[in-house]
Amino acid sequence: MDPREHSILEEQRIYARWLAAGILIGFSSLVASFFIYLFGLMPPGIPPETLPRYWSLPVHEYVALTGAPTGWSWLRRLGESDLLNFAGVAVLGTTTLVCYLRLVPVLAKARARILLFICLAEIVVLAVAASGVAFSTH
Amino acid sequence: MIASAATFPWWAWPLLLFATAFLLGIVAVIGGIGGGVLFVPIVGGLFPFHLDFVRGAGLLLALCGSLAAAPAMLRGGLASLRLAMPLALAGSVTAILGAYLGLALPTRVVQGALGISVLLIALLMWKTRHAAPEATPAIDRWAAALGLRGSYHDPALGHDVAWAARRVPAGLAAFAGIGLVGGLFGLGAGWANVPALNLLMGVPLKLAVGTSGLSISIINTSAAWVYLNEGALLPILHVPSILGVMVGARVGVRLLKRMHADTARRIVIAILVVAGARALSQGLGY
Repeated sequence: MDPREHSILEEQRIYARWLAAGILIGFSSLVASFFIYLFGLMPPGIPPETLPRYWSLPVHEYVALTGAPTGWSWLRRLGESDLLNFAGVAVLGTTTLVCYLRLVPVLAKARARILLFICLAEIVVLAVAASGVAFSTH
Repeated sequence: MIASAATFPWWAWPLLLFATAFLLGIVAVIGGIGGGVLFVPIVGGLFPFHLDFVRGAGLLLALCGSLAAAPAMLRGGLASLRLAMPLALAGSVTAILGAYLGLALPTRVVQGALGISVLLIALLMWKTRHAAPEATPAIDRWAAALGLRGSYHDPALGHDVAWAARRVPAGLAAFAGIGLVGGLFGLGAGWANVPALNLLMGVPLKLAVGTSGLSISIINTSAAWVYLNEGALLPILHVPSILGVMVGARVGVRLLKRMHADTARRIVIAILVVAGARALSQGLGY
């Protein structure tokens, strides 16, 4: 072990380990799915050659014209290569939430009550953001 | 704008984005800021993509950059999770509000406000370029209660550096404001987090840089969910941009050793002034 790591708190080491694993999975999925989309290895929801017609529109018009998914509805359309890319984004977005969930027992065991409260509050905030139920503009 | 969407075939745009993001990645590293703050005004002003998608890509770009660096920073003790947690909580809540607000407001309003914000960021960078924190910060009771103190090993100095945070309520307020701006405009927030941690809260600069990145990884996660849920992500825009900035950042790290930091910072400030003025003029309809 690196001799200076003795001063690094246990929760920080655990968080770093889980974060590194999540990033590896999320980033690999993000890049791999993009090349699947780019090279047409799977059928896309919106073919890339038609995208220039829509990409200068505000998102609400883009969604209305293309039928692009909102919320978690992309999950039902993972067979479309452009939406497969959203899985990589979702893994990256979920990584921090999972890391915080992993911190709960560590902080509880350390009796770090204030940090535990902050940790639980962040879990709620991230879960609300991920759920998309807050104030959808569609 | 470089050209309208019809000027080039569709496959040229990811290549142009990669090249632009690559250059921005170099400039961002040597200027000591995140790529997101340059990406949104420049790509929003020069490329045909709507600002909604550019902001979504900017958030993801800042998120990926900060996530990639965070594990090593945490393991090396150059970022403090305990310090980041309360600040990121304040920033996460307001980043979500900012993201929804940005998608609900008229584009012109967001563009004009983005221009003003980028010009203010340039001003902040100019004003704080030689600023230094007070030498002996006194820990406040909030910092004591949250355990916001510790030490890290600085390889450049060859010894451990003790630190303690102060002015925690002001720091929370600053991060709440920064989170709102970041979510609203899709900007990374290193340009503001680092001065807030270093100058306001008395955290040593190296720890401030690492903790800022960790905070961005948490704050931008919450805002990125909003853009994903609202359908405001285009893989053809965000993936080449993320890859370009990441490759550019690696080149930038090599160039950094040969370039004077103040010169690099002046270049970034000049780019921000031009990009901010362009966004403001677009917002005003010129």
